[in-house]
Amino acid sequence: MLVELTVNGESRSANVPPETTLLKMLREYLGLTGAKLGCDVGDCGTCTVIVDGVSVNSCLMLAGRADGCDVTTIEGLATADELHPLQQKFEEHGALQCGFCGPGMLISAKNLLDTNPEPSVFEVRDALAGNLCRCTGYTKIIEAVIEAGEMMNQEQATV
Amino acid sequence: MATRVKDVQTNVEDLVTAREARAPSRQPLAVPIDQPVTFPLELPESEARLRTPAVGQRATRPDGRLHGLGQTQYIDDITFPHMLHAKILRSEYAHARIVSIDTSEAEKMPGVIATLTGAEVPENSFGPTYQDQPILAYPIARHRGDGVAAVAATTEQFALDALEKIRVEYEPLPAVFDPLEALEDDSPKVHGGDTNIYTSKVIKKGDVEAGLAASDHVFERRFSTQMVEHVPLEPHATIASWDGNGRVSIWSSLGRITLGREDLARTLQMPQSRIRLIGTVVGGNFGGKNEITNEPIVALLSRKSRRPVKAIYSRGDEFVSSTIRHPFIMDYTTGVDNEGRILARKIRLVLDGGAYCSWTGTTIGKGSILAPGPYNIDNVLVEAYAVYTNKTTTGAMRGFGAPQVCFAYESQMDDMADALGIDPLEIRLRNGFSENSLSPTGQSLQSVALKESLTQAADRFRWKEWQA
Repeated sequence: MLVELTVNGESRSANVPPETTLLKMLREYLGLTGAKLGCDVGDCGTCTVIVDGVSVNSCLMLAGRADGCDVTTIEGLATADELHPLQQKFEEHGALQCGFCGPGMLISAKNLLDTNPEPSVFEVRDALAGNLCRCTGYTKIIEAVIEAGEMMNQEQATV
Repeated sequence: MATRVKDVQTNVEDLVTAREARAPSRQPLAVPIDQPVTFPLELPESEARLRTPAVGQRATRPDGRLHGLGQTQYIDDITFPHMLHAKILRSEYAHARIVSIDTSEAEKMPGVIATLTGAEVPENSFGPTYQDQPILAYPIARHRGDGVAAVAATTEQFALDALEKIRVEYEPLPAVFDPLEALEDDSPKVHGGDTNIYTSKVIKKGDVEAGLAASDHVFERRFSTQMVEHVPLEPHATIASWDGNGRVSIWSSLGRITLGREDLARTLQMPQSRIRLIGTVVGGNFGGKNEITNEPIVALLSRKSRRPVKAIYSRGDEFVSSTIRHPFIMDYTTGVDNEGRILARKIRLVLDGGAYCSWTGTTIGKGSILAPGPYNIDNVLVEAYAVYTNKTTTGAMRGFGAPQVCFAYESQMDDMADALGIDPLEIRLRNGFSENSLSPTGQSLQSVALKESLTQAADRFRWKEWQA
């Protein structure tokens, strides 16, 4: 079946078998390997992408259901000139160790900051509850998200 | 030049003397006095060691930027033209003799290019200590996570569909799941023979029975811990590609590639020089990726199909088939005087080894040595046994047995403090290791900051106030 969607602002399409998940389509048909396959059952969050403003486990969403949708993946965060504040803060805090949870974690965090520019620690924890990390213990990740939010608000204020 | 050699000569002697004076328990260094070395034997104490400047500092990683950009290349992010996908069929029984495996129907399925069974593996055994684990079980499956057959197909879905068409005839065998039952004479024997014990360790210091007899109080309790899976977010992943010259390249999430290449050479029965094993960026290891798993399967499927083959464990495979942490059953008997000073400690550890040995040797060693805890005890007896059961194989996991015994000895310290009415911190300070304390195996310990650390930590989190 033909699936047409917008990924990181670009129109993309692929002919995929009907059982293809959005994750598989992104990784294998569109060459966007940032989102990862960790558990394939929606538990770990490594496959998180934003679909029409909602962060979803792309391993649980059929590609066909995303037809016509606007999808943001980790590849859509940085520009050619600069990192997204979340990426910068994650890097400074050493918030990623093996890095496998990173793309999903960052996308969930981005979706949080898009909808809630000044989240409390509790809200950050809640927003990242669907993203598992086995290396860091989460502390640095949460600190990075809070700081990235502050940084984005300052940037907003100076514009 | 001559003068310098002479200076060095003097320095060497001084250094040896100085070193002996500082660490009297150490054997003198075998420094060749008659043929003096020309380099200084000791480095000056570095500032960093004295001040541990890393504490409290942010640590960044050189690969942190690519991680954040989603551009780090893990194995599943690598593809090759015409690459196949492999899936492994697991045993239906915890313990069974495989009578027959029929893959003919699976081979007729769409997209299927090759299948593999244990009988086709050149040397169907591996393991870092004992080579007791099959690549694909044949003729005996010893736990539900044992692979019995594998399929390589053009897509993962085709491979999964084909697994359902493999016909395996089993003759179920009696199985044992409890490590204490496995110790009994009439229990089913996982690897045949007359015992399920495959490794043991005994540590003796002083006279434990005399120490217990002389104690004012004796505490006895059994502690047990459970299985733990590492759950690396990246499942075990492998790609193998066999070239026309009979050489194989293997991209693997394995942490120990040198050891892995040895195991591959053995299982594939080919020289190491024809095996190129590439350790990639790993998405979490924690000890679970310290030995080969599906690498030989993927390599052989690649040889049969003449195509690159990729295999990614499902999360289910990860739980049942990769190694896990050893569950321990720990019997602690500890004798103390009225002041809470430990006079004797007798420990029996039973390690539930699961179906195969894996890294049990390291685990039982470290677990046994650390079992009495960081306490000065003159009379110690540790007896540890690792037993086979028809369960998931236990292997390396962070700490190699140390967390299990720590749970037991620290729990018992609390029990004793409570019963004797002594502050839990105080009972640890009364017994804790200090400089030059002897470990249960007689090692003289240096740079021991246990009591200082405990006291400082207790101050920082206001232990006294919490107690009040």
